[in-house]
Amino acid sequence: MSAMTRHEWLLSDRPTSRRQARLGQAYRTWLSFRTNWLAMVGLGIVVALVLVALFANVIAPYDPVLGGDLRTERFLPPLTGNHLLGTDDLSRDIFSRIVHGSRLTLLVVVLVAVIATPIGLLVGTTAGYFGGWVDTVLMRITDIFLAFPRLILALAFVAALGPGIENAIIAIAITSWPPYARLARAETLTIRDSDFISAARLQGASSARILWGHVTPLCLSSVIIRVTLDMAGIILTAAGLGFLGLGAQPPQPEWGAMIAAGRRFLIDQWWVATMPGVAIFIVSLGFNLLGDGLRDVLDPKARK
Amino acid sequence: MTSLLTIEDLRITFPSRQGPSEVVRGVSFTLGRERLGIVGESGSGKSQTGRAILGLTPPPGKATARVLDFDGTDLRAASAATWRRLRGARMSMVMQDPKFSLNPVMTIGRQLMEALKFGASETRAEARTRALAMLEAVQIRDPERVFRAYPHELSGGMGQRAMIAMMLVAEPDLLIADEPTSALDVTVQVEVLRILDRLVSERGMGLLFISHDLRLVSSFCDRVLVMYAGRVVEELKASELTQAQHPYTRGLMNCLPKIEGGQRPLPTLERDAAWAR
Amino acid sequence: MGEVMLQVADLAVTFRRGGDAVHAVQDVSFSVAQGESFGIVGESGSGKSTVLRAICALAPTSAGTIRLRDAPLATPRPARFFRQVQMVFQDPYASLHPRHTIDRVLSEPLAIHGFDRREERIERALEEVGLGGGFRFRYPHQLSGGQRQRVAVARALILEPEVLLLDEPTSALDASIQAEVLNLLDRLRAERGLTYVMVSHDLAVVAHMCDRLMVMQHGRAIEELSRAALAAHRAETDYTRKLLSASEGYTPAEAS
Repeated sequence: MSAMTRHEWLLSDRPTSRRQARLGQAYRTWLSFRTNWLAMVGLGIVVALVLVALFANVIAPYDPVLGGDLRTERFLPPLTGNHLLGTDDLSRDIFSRIVHGSRLTLLVVVLVAVIATPIGLLVGTTAGYFGGWVDTVLMRITDIFLAFPRLILALAFVAALGPGIENAIIAIAITSWPPYARLARAETLTIRDSDFISAARLQGASSARILWGHVTPLCLSSVIIRVTLDMAGIILTAAGLGFLGLGAQPPQPEWGAMIAAGRRFLIDQWWVATMPGVAIFIVSLGFNLLGDGLRDVLDPKARK
Repeated sequence: MTSLLTIEDLRITFPSRQGPSEVVRGVSFTLGRERLGIVGESGSGKSQTGRAILGLTPPPGKATARVLDFDGTDLRAASAATWRRLRGARMSMVMQDPKFSLNPVMTIGRQLMEALKFGASETRAEARTRALAMLEAVQIRDPERVFRAYPHELSGGMGQRAMIAMMLVAEPDLLIADEPTSALDVTVQVEVLRILDRLVSERGMGLLFISHDLRLVSSFCDRVLVMYAGRVVEELKASELTQAQHPYTRGLMNCLPKIEGGQRPLPTLERDAAWAR
Repeated sequence: MGEVMLQVADLAVTFRRGGDAVHAVQDVSFSVAQGESFGIVGESGSGKSTVLRAICALAPTSAGTIRLRDAPLATPRPARFFRQVQMVFQDPYASLHPRHTIDRVLSEPLAIHGFDRREERIERALEEVGLGGGFRFRYPHQLSGGQRQRVAVARALILEPEVLLLDEPTSALDASIQAEVLNLLDRLRAERGLTYVMVSHDLAVVAHMCDRLMVMQHGRAIEELSRAALAAHRAETDYTRKLLSASEGYTPAEAS
């Protein structure tokens, strides 16, 4: 392999191991993703969010919860002293709060993705593959969930479970799987009758094996794209719940709750509510750009 | 015989990651009011040749030629207006699968009338009569019903006949048929070919018949061009196909199984890199 | 002729969509001896592929019996059945999973049926269909149509079945590639003593590959004839004669 560059090894037409084949495939996807600069911007924003969340302690100059001197440091405008984005009504550094808030945002995003995606995939592929009454039952349940506006349903769940970030995450996860189930079912219906599924059945493969090994990988890319595009909405829902006082509770630096707290001072101290809003905007945009880029490389139907 | 279409040195290139690749490399032929067949395997450039004549090379592909002349019109420099005047009215194309070539949300009748609009000035009723007559000419038994039907309501054979009717209703001088019968059953295939045959002999149309099926082309066409890797490797009279000189043509003929039985194993085609040069 | 391998009696397949019943296959009977190659010819909609799918329970049997080595087949088919009967599909572009490497395609059936010496079997299977080891870790999109169909044949044979069902195995391939795949199938049958049931719309292909054949139209078997009878154009029904003349190529304005 020494005579070959890594690039050549990855793009080899004749891979010599499972690992090389898989890596080569991923590398090709990356190469085509890389040509889309907007998607790269989205990826950059998402990677930045992860890094900021990981190193929040190092990046944030102040404590996110404990404020400074209430007499002299309340409502400092941006770029005064060491307060890059100013301070709020409790003399807390807004920049530090946003940096720490990224952890909550990331937590919401990751947990919702981890909970909702598998539920949606499982329900959708099962309904689509088996059809008949299984399909009817699963899809009617999905329809019931889809019949409610997401925020209202999440509100009802949080009201029942009690306010708090954990319950907000559970509520959002419970309300966001139905579209994925729908999508996975639609994909499964187009795959179900294809020859390669027939071939797998003729090999004696069990339904579970076909669902997991053959159907799911093909549904996965469109669901991932959808989840990524939904992330913006999920962040907004979490922020909305925070804003309504049903998500993260004070003094947690959740972005939505921060906007809610700052809205009282919007006219005179605009930055208190605006800065977390800008953070939500940037991260949502990042996920949308990333999702669009992923669709271009992963979804064969979107290609010409 | 006057020539309807003259092509010299047609080249079609597509850009790729490894630089431009030429899929058609210097194809030249003339077509009169006759049946000319182009035979080749997938990737030989036969379909691209057909499309280039109508100026339908899909982007980012580029078609160039030294001569590309259709009945006195230089197609290389044709403007959008010229193409509009030619396509449909004087030259048309029948594609392999009617499902992809018919507009699914328009009735066959409306699509036929649409095709007629470019023709002579006439009233709606006259156009309708002509459209119905065309449907009858392609052996559709119940033209009134088909006229009102949507493409999905027709079987494959019917759809293909409707497609041919649409392409022929304006009575073009040149028809390019790209695998017009491959999606059809053999018994229907014969009927569709009869229609094309009659149009050539009765209306003096020029037909360029593109197919992978050497047996079909040799029994249907007057002359045959054999394409390989973007080049015409042999041009011969269809009746003289058995005396083909080029090893590729001979290989293509021999590798077909025969009902009467033949060699086992079948002779396979040994490709020679020199053919592509 | 040897022992009867596969026997289909009075087979009927009916698909129900809403209130309509589509009788795809009606009263089809035939039997195939061990080591024989049997052809089914018909046009689209004749039900020829449905017969194959019914044999392996991919289509529902609404009447009739299918016996393998004189034992009636249970539905759903037992695991043992899949080691006896395998199928090659028409479109090599649709019959391989787009995200699975050839290695995975071939190793999965071995894993399902608990075969030993898997590495060796995969290497040998690829060797036998004329694909070297260089193809093992490729994805289907890195292969040509002919190569894909060879992989499909290798997948069908890796479980060492006795019966191979071939559903238009070469109709999506170029003529020169068709010849190579037909030769491959021919050779494998001779080497392994396989029994073939081959469906095709192409009389010449069936005549080349099969000892006997059955002509189907509108879901019914209308004629059964031997290769010799076909070669001599001794068909009994008008429909078969029509197919025969159409397969010779175009005949201008025959008296019809």
